[in-house]
Amino acid sequence: MEDPTGNNPSDAPPPDSPPEKRFASLSLPPDFEIQEDDDDDEGYLTAVSRGGSITSATAAWKDDLEDADVAPPSPSSSGYAGERGTSLASSAAANDDPEPQPDDDWPRDKKHLHEDDTSASWRKRKKHFFILSNSGKPIYSRYGDEHKLAGFSATLQAIISFVENSGDHIKFVRAAKHQIVFLVKGPIYLVCISCTEESYEGLRGQLELMYGQMLLILTKSVNRCFEKNPKFDMAPLLGGTDAVFLSLIHAFSWNPATFLHAYTCLPLAQSTRQAASAVLQDIADSGVLFALLMCEHKVISLVGAQKAILHPDDIFLLSNFILSSESFRTSESFSPICLPRYNSMAFLYAYVHFFDENTYLTLLTARSDAFYDLKDSRSRIQNVLLKANVLVEVQRSLRESALRIEDLPADPSSQSVSPPPQFSQDVHSQLLSSEMAIGGPAGLWHFIYKSIYLDQYVSSEFPLIISNPKQQKRLYKAYQKLYASMHDKATGPHKTQFRRDEDYVLFCWITQDFELYAAFNPLADKSQAIKVCNRVCQWIRDLENEIFVYGESTLSW
Amino acid sequence: MAANAGHKIRNAKLVLLGDVGTGKSSLVLRFVKGQFVEFQESTIGAAFFSQTLAVNDETVKFEIWDTAGQERYHSLAPMYYRGAAAAIVVYDITNAASFTRAKKWVQELQAQGNPNTIMALAGNKADMVEARQVPAEEAKTYAQENGLFFMETSAKTAINVNDVFHEIAKRLLQGQQAQDTPAGMVLNQRPAERMVSSSSCCS
Repeated sequence: MEDPTGNNPSDAPPPDSPPEKRFASLSLPPDFEIQEDDDDDEGYLTAVSRGGSITSATAAWKDDLEDADVAPPSPSSSGYAGERGTSLASSAAANDDPEPQPDDDWPRDKKHLHEDDTSASWRKRKKHFFILSNSGKPIYSRYGDEHKLAGFSATLQAIISFVENSGDHIKFVRAAKHQIVFLVKGPIYLVCISCTEESYEGLRGQLELMYGQMLLILTKSVNRCFEKNPKFDMAPLLGGTDAVFLSLIHAFSWNPATFLHAYTCLPLAQSTRQAASAVLQDIADSGVLFALLMCEHKVISLVGAQKAILHPDDIFLLSNFILSSESFRTSESFSPICLPRYNSMAFLYAYVHFFDENTYLTLLTARSDAFYDLKDSRSRIQNVLLKANVLVEVQRSLRESALRIEDLPADPSSQSVSPPPQFSQDVHSQLLSSEMAIGGPAGLWHFIYKSIYLDQYVSSEFPLIISNPKQQKRLYKAYQKLYASMHDKATGPHKTQFRRDEDYVLFCWITQDFELYAAFNPLADKSQAIKVCNRVCQWIRDLENEIFVYGESTLSW
Repeated sequence: MAANAGHKIRNAKLVLLGDVGTGKSSLVLRFVKGQFVEFQESTIGAAFFSQTLAVNDETVKFEIWDTAGQERYHSLAPMYYRGAAAAIVVYDITNAASFTRAKKWVQELQAQGNPNTIMALAGNKADMVEARQVPAEEAKTYAQENGLFFMETSAKTAINVNDVFHEIAKRLLQGQQAQDTPAGMVLNQRPAERMVSSSSCCS
């Protein structure tokens, strides 16, 4: 499908960048082309028609997890507690629901237990995830009851072993709009069946995270069960974790950490963050392996014992696990967890405590008898955080400190449309509103900046024009494709890419120090866009002490 | 539940064991916070609570471990029941399998736990009599044979919930008077230390 406006691999360097940062001439993989029937987003409405109070990526909770909900929500099981599918009994919003819901309201009860591979609704789902054993036993399915999917699992297993029998490995199968991606991890097979037009690399990365999440719960020593008994039924071992996987799959469509392999920090004044880091460092020196203070999925501070390094994927999987399990919020917890990138064979013990609705401390140790020590440590940390007003600052930052593209400082050397801050309020807001119709400066809508050295990223708040979760998901999908094509092993890695389609102008710029992903109004001018990207980079450098965590001793990845 | 009656407070580690979905967390939340939610989510690992109870002139401070019923955590149970002064084994009166599982927990505690641990058997969800699968008589007989005390409870209606904890506290204090040898009742030393350093954190 040729794009009418053309996808231009550019051949000119950005005007403001040093000559070595040249645009590479790109040949895009075929799956990078935008297909005309992007039906994952059916029901998509143009941005302007939707108000909506959703202003940040984290508020995109209600997102419908990918697909048309053709079936009614599954009935909740009765009883006080339960294993599978007993999460909130919220009603699933239909795909064509015209009103975006406010935050924190995405339906968790989406497993549709009554479905199986004979149900039409099941087959219509846009994105399936399966985990199965190499004997074909189902372990996890995103939709439907695993037990009823035994036949389907056996079929998947047969496909994999058929290829393996000829001494080869299956990576993916493409069938019309569907892509079936396979990931083999010893005795455990992971499969994604999707018609969402995501790249093979992107989907495989998602399967890797599914596997990592499973290891976080069980460790790799679960493989031994299969050595003893190849027919081992692993599904019960994952009992009660549906909410964890559901939240992970949801994150694939809103959390850039899932494809950037970087984490993001809560913006805080340097002194505030230092107060938190200092007390965590004290604790880490007294026998804790890692101490993490986080607010939702954003890091406030983290420290590790000497030489211990925490991988961004582990941070992501750990926070997903904690945030998706209601149990951690009721009281202090002490639970075995495994950090797959740190040591996939061993359990660590996690002490978890929520200071408030969204701020929580995680202390990780190898000692199973450390609970009371860690409880003491927590109370010491809590005292310091209260004295230094950290928790209050965290709440304030959560409300106020988002990076807004309209706050991007004007370029002093050029004639900019952005008014200087001392402009009268009237003129200022007038200009802003006219600018918002086309986006920020030069039509900038959104950006993500990843510091390669720090393995951290920051992203701007979504503007009104991308305020509903569907639009945000669509943009993330575009970023994911951009990421995959920039990091393509066969043709890349590339340094810059400028592409235009009917939805956006996307610009990506990768240097030794950072990766910048930016989305513009589709009519944006190329040279203006590049200039604005330079301003964004300068802006980030100006703010770096507040938006990144700089570890004193241990955070050199 | 006055914690401060002017005499010494006795710390007691208490563990709840039982199958998935029997209502362990619901019992604890009813006892500690007076709350009940219909769809309590699965516990991860173990959750820690503390609650004090005054019995006559004495005070017991329970340090409660609400363990996860999920199979993958079974091997970790000793970590939580080791050194426990009391254990509540919970089953669901509407689920016969959970009663079988409860008996296994009792066996394990008898084999590996502390012989002085006070054990209670709680048949939870007693409000759902119409779906009953485990006759109260059967559980009562089993409890007598094995030296447990038995109550049917309902976290939902609060029936017998405080009573179970109260009864445990009473027995703990009696046991202490009867045999003043600390053997087997020795708790982890750390909670005692903690009492001094952070007495403010008990709710």
